Amino acid sequence: MPDHTSNGMQCHEFDGLLSDALDGVLTGLQLNAFQAHARTCSACRPLFAEVEAGRNWLKDLTEVEPPASLVNNILASTTGVDSQRLRVNVSASQPRSSRLHAPWWERAQAWASEAMQPIWGTVRQPRFAMSFGMAFFALSLALSVLGVKPADLREVSLRPAAIRHTYYSTQARVVRYYENIRFVYEVESRVRELKRTVAPTEAPSGDSAPDKKDRKNDTTQQPEQKQERNYSQTGNYLILASAPLGPSVFDPLNQDPLNPDLPVVSVTTYRRFV
Amino acid sequence: MLVRRCVAGDAAAWEEIVQNYNRRIYNICYRFAGSSDDAQDLTQEVFIKMYRTLSSYDSSKGAFITWVTTITRNLLVDHFRKTKQDRITDSLDAASSAHEDAQPLSEQIQDQSAPPDARVRSREVGETVHAALAKLSPELREAVILRDLQDFDYREIATVLKVPEGTVKSRINRGRAELARLLQRTYRQVM
Repeated sequence: MPDHTSNGMQCHEFDGLLSDALDGVLTGLQLNAFQAHARTCSACRPLFAEVEAGRNWLKDLTEVEPPASLVNNILASTTGVDSQRLRVNVSASQPRSSRLHAPWWERAQAWASEAMQPIWGTVRQPRFAMSFGMAFFALSLALSVLGVKPADLREVSLRPAAIRHTYYSTQARVVRYYENIRFVYEVESRVRELKRTVAPTEAPSGDSAPDKKDRKNDTTQQPEQKQERNYSQTGNYLILASAPLGPSVFDPLNQDPLNPDLPVVSVTTYRRFV
Repeated sequence: MLVRRCVAGDAAAWEEIVQNYNRRIYNICYRFAGSSDDAQDLTQEVFIKMYRTLSSYDSSKGAFITWVTTITRNLLVDHFRKTKQDRITDSLDAASSAHEDAQPLSEQIQDQSAPPDARVRSREVGETVHAALAKLSPELREAVILRDLQDFDYREIATVLKVPEGTVKSRINRGRAELARLLQRTYRQVM
């Protein structure tokens, strides 16, 4: 819009007052200046006419009637109580005296359903239904992985003695499992010690290269026992154990004091390279 | 207060809110989106969002209707952005389409015979204005709808649209003028 002054009013001022003028809230000098500008300004005069015409056209637009099902659809999608509400309204429309004469369990049931209605309405929402579905799926998956079958649960006795028995048997199973694990570790460590003791005497010293090769092909991913690298066998010594002088305790028939029948002890020593 | 009762879990209060506001929201959606099906879906979306966020309404910050209209407007803008690509495709197809809706506004009016009575004429004029309104840019359309069809005052519109009052007035003027130009062009072609 070209912004020029006409009758003391600029075009942008005219634009700002246009809505107020059409609403009929302009008075006094402001109204006079506005009307004078509208008469004389070649840019603002058609604008005023168009805005007024547009507003009149819009008056032809009447309010449309929403579909009859809209409210029910909204209630169903938000609280899910469309049909429940109708049922509750029907029960509420019954005479109070007839409800009082009903048996106590029916009254309790009616009271419970009325109390649970908001909760049930919330729970029935699609997002909650989806969450429950996912939770059920996860639970059933976990149970199947753990080997729990629903058919087994039917046979579970809920008597206190049976529950106690189940508790103790489960506890015993856990302890046995633990003990078995400990036993396996003990056996393993013994075997390892045995190997450590036997292997150096059996393996020739020049077989280090095949050893390395074997280790390369080893796919067990067991760590090497590096501690053993610092040890080397220095030799086997046969030593004679000394025994106190006197009659031999080993051979009572041997009476030679210079050639006593001494026990022979084999000692293997290891030396650590630092 | 209805909102407080509703937040407290009163289902009847929520139903009352739905009864009170569904017509207004449906009309805003219908005038903005242009079709009854879209308006119905959008109205439901508005109420679902309202139901979820009802506890966040703060009465000290404004009237409930302003809050509701803000939710409606935001959803309409989102819907407009989402369906933008569809509309571009539709407008490209419009020239070759034989569907009645794809015809230009002037042709739609030309094809119709003289209305038998004033009621029919009034309905046809309403449809023509509705079609012209759909051609306005969304910024101008929402301002015009809120002012001329929903009778909001400028301050409320400024709150809903999150723009200054001066901008609101300017948009309303431009929207009305644009609408008048569109309709004048249409009727000039008919005459």
